[in-house]
Amino acid sequence: MSADRPLAARATLRLAALMAAAIMALSLGAMALQYRLVETRMMQAQENLLTASLNGFAALYDQRRIIALRQAIEYRAAASAGGEMLLLQDRKGAVLAGTETAWPTGVDPTGEGFTADHAVAFAKGDTRWLGVARILPGGFPLLVAHSLAPVDATLASLRRGMAALAAALLAAGAAVGWFAARGVMGRVNRINTLADRVAAGDLSARLPGPRSNDEFGLLETHVHAMLDRIENLNRATHRLSDTIAHELRTPLNRMTQKLSRIQGQEDLAEELKSEMRAAIRVFDSLLDISRAEADQGSGGGLVPVDLSAVASEVWDLYEPLAEDKGLGCTLSVQPGLRVLGDRNLIAQMLSNLLDNAIKYCAPGDALSLGLAEAADGHILTVADTGPGLPDTLKEDAFERFVRADRDIDRGIKGHGLGLALVRAIAARHGAKLVLPATEKGLTLEFHWPKLAAEA
Amino acid sequence: MDRILIVEDDPETAAAVAAEVRGLGCEPVIVTTLEEGVAAAPGDFKVIVLDRMLPGGDGVEAMARMRANGARAMILVLSALGRAANRVEGLEKGADDYLPKPFEPEELRARLRALLRRGTMQVLDNDLLAFGDLEIRMKARTVHIKRAHVAVSPKEFELISYFAQNAGQVVTRMQLLENVWNLHFDPGTNVVDVHVGRLRRKLEEAGSAAIQTARGEGYVFAPMAAK
Repeated sequence: MSADRPLAARATLRLAALMAAAIMALSLGAMALQYRLVETRMMQAQENLLTASLNGFAALYDQRRIIALRQAIEYRAAASAGGEMLLLQDRKGAVLAGTETAWPTGVDPTGEGFTADHAVAFAKGDTRWLGVARILPGGFPLLVAHSLAPVDATLASLRRGMAALAAALLAAGAAVGWFAARGVMGRVNRINTLADRVAAGDLSARLPGPRSNDEFGLLETHVHAMLDRIENLNRATHRLSDTIAHELRTPLNRMTQKLSRIQGQEDLAEELKSEMRAAIRVFDSLLDISRAEADQGSGGGLVPVDLSAVASEVWDLYEPLAEDKGLGCTLSVQPGLRVLGDRNLIAQMLSNLLDNAIKYCAPGDALSLGLAEAADGHILTVADTGPGLPDTLKEDAFERFVRADRDIDRGIKGHGLGLALVRAIAARHGAKLVLPATEKGLTLEFHWPKLAAEA
Repeated sequence: MDRILIVEDDPETAAAVAAEVRGLGCEPVIVTTLEEGVAAAPGDFKVIVLDRMLPGGDGVEAMARMRANGARAMILVLSALGRAANRVEGLEKGADDYLPKPFEPEELRARLRALLRRGTMQVLDNDLLAFGDLEIRMKARTVHIKRAHVAVSPKEFELISYFAQNAGQVVTRMQLLENVWNLHFDPGTNVVDVHVGRLRRKLEEAGSAAIQTARGEGYVFAPMAAK
């Protein structure tokens, strides 16, 4: 049960993580949008700046062609603070004026006007530039470019800010998720612990303290209402079986007392008494079956029991009976195997099994009881070479009041409750009942859960 | 005269119990509610025959109160709550014996007698229990008849020890199953008879007819009378 806990906590954490991730994705999306916008606007501003420069040069070129242009570029290059890249060459490639000594690579002149069309971004060193390269009439290459460093610096700091914000969001999301999961798990664990206690047989277990006024409080209230109902039903069942016992056995008791006063017809009185005992056995078996089924799955009332010892004791009780009937008896019990159980119920179960086997086997048949430790539990085996269960019956044989027709025909006495009680008691102990296929007779295997070895 | 307290609300049952008590030479005192029973329990009684579903509550739950009030009598629970689980519960909660209803008068008599004996019996610390020719050595766990060793199984030794403790009295099959095998359910078949039969044959072969059948009641261990 407790092994499921980390998985349950993971569900809450997963939900919290999902919510944190969703919020982060939205925030990052919004920031990315803003980033694109800023980037576009700044590039546009750079292009405008470039256009303005080009317009200036165009006006000078219109007046005095290359000479004016050369003077203006020389002047501008001298005053330049590094934010501009200007270069004018003659038709042989010699530099006429400019900030550069050579034509930068990766920039091919296109067209011959002073418009800012086809502006290209290119890199020189660590800096990116936005520029226009032209070949003016007469074969004079001209390059006018503006540095993109301020734009890149701004965008870089924007990116850093976003990364920091994302990290902060992640941390906040994780923290909120952890606290939420812890809070929820605390509340859920309270209810889980309660459920475990109830499953362990403590039907009167309840959560202490007042209910909080929220969905968990409501859940606790509902769980409590449910437990009250289960407890009432359980109490009613027990009361009913006690009442039936009382109301049936009290009149039977009066009959028994009166029967013992009958003189002269002792045989008839004895027969009646044995009929009454048989009736009580049927009815006790029914109550025992119901009780074992009602308690199934709960460990309540079970204590460590030496299964090996109980098996040997019950075997000792029945072995002479089996020998007298001419059965070959084999006992192979590994000593010291312990289970969580009710000694009396286990003994009753074994007694039913051995009694059945002896009843149905014929002289010469073999009967064996085995108990051995396996990897996943203790395996108790009761095997005989008698007639076995009819194929038409098999699993049905474990239902109440089911008997094989051939037994009824042969006049074998029974009430059809023995195996039903066996199954109920096995289930009460969490022992798995297996019917392995055998060539002859009946073999029943019970896989008992192990009890951890005690010091 | 020993007195026996009967806490029972069904008048017919109470009368039947009282008749058995008188048959044992004791004086019955009948009360019909649990409160009266608890109040009377500390009196001078040898045995208390206690019902369970009484006006005022469950007798088994009241046993602790009786003991706390100073009751020192043996308690025999006599109840319609007769399933094995009920019996084990009653014994675990301090009853000295537990007989389910409906009960045979012989069964009640045998149990009352056993309780009366237990109430007065000295602790059996003798190593040697001798019944004429028949000797039981408790420490060595051996049985001898006319000085000759009789081989008995461990269970047969427990059986003969229990018989010896109740020598001369009728012992029922149910008592044997409960005291020798510690089993508290009715197995239906008389498995006990087979064991007693084997022990009996062994004793007879060695020359002792110590175990006798008490018809319709059980067995009597009477080594001295059997001659």
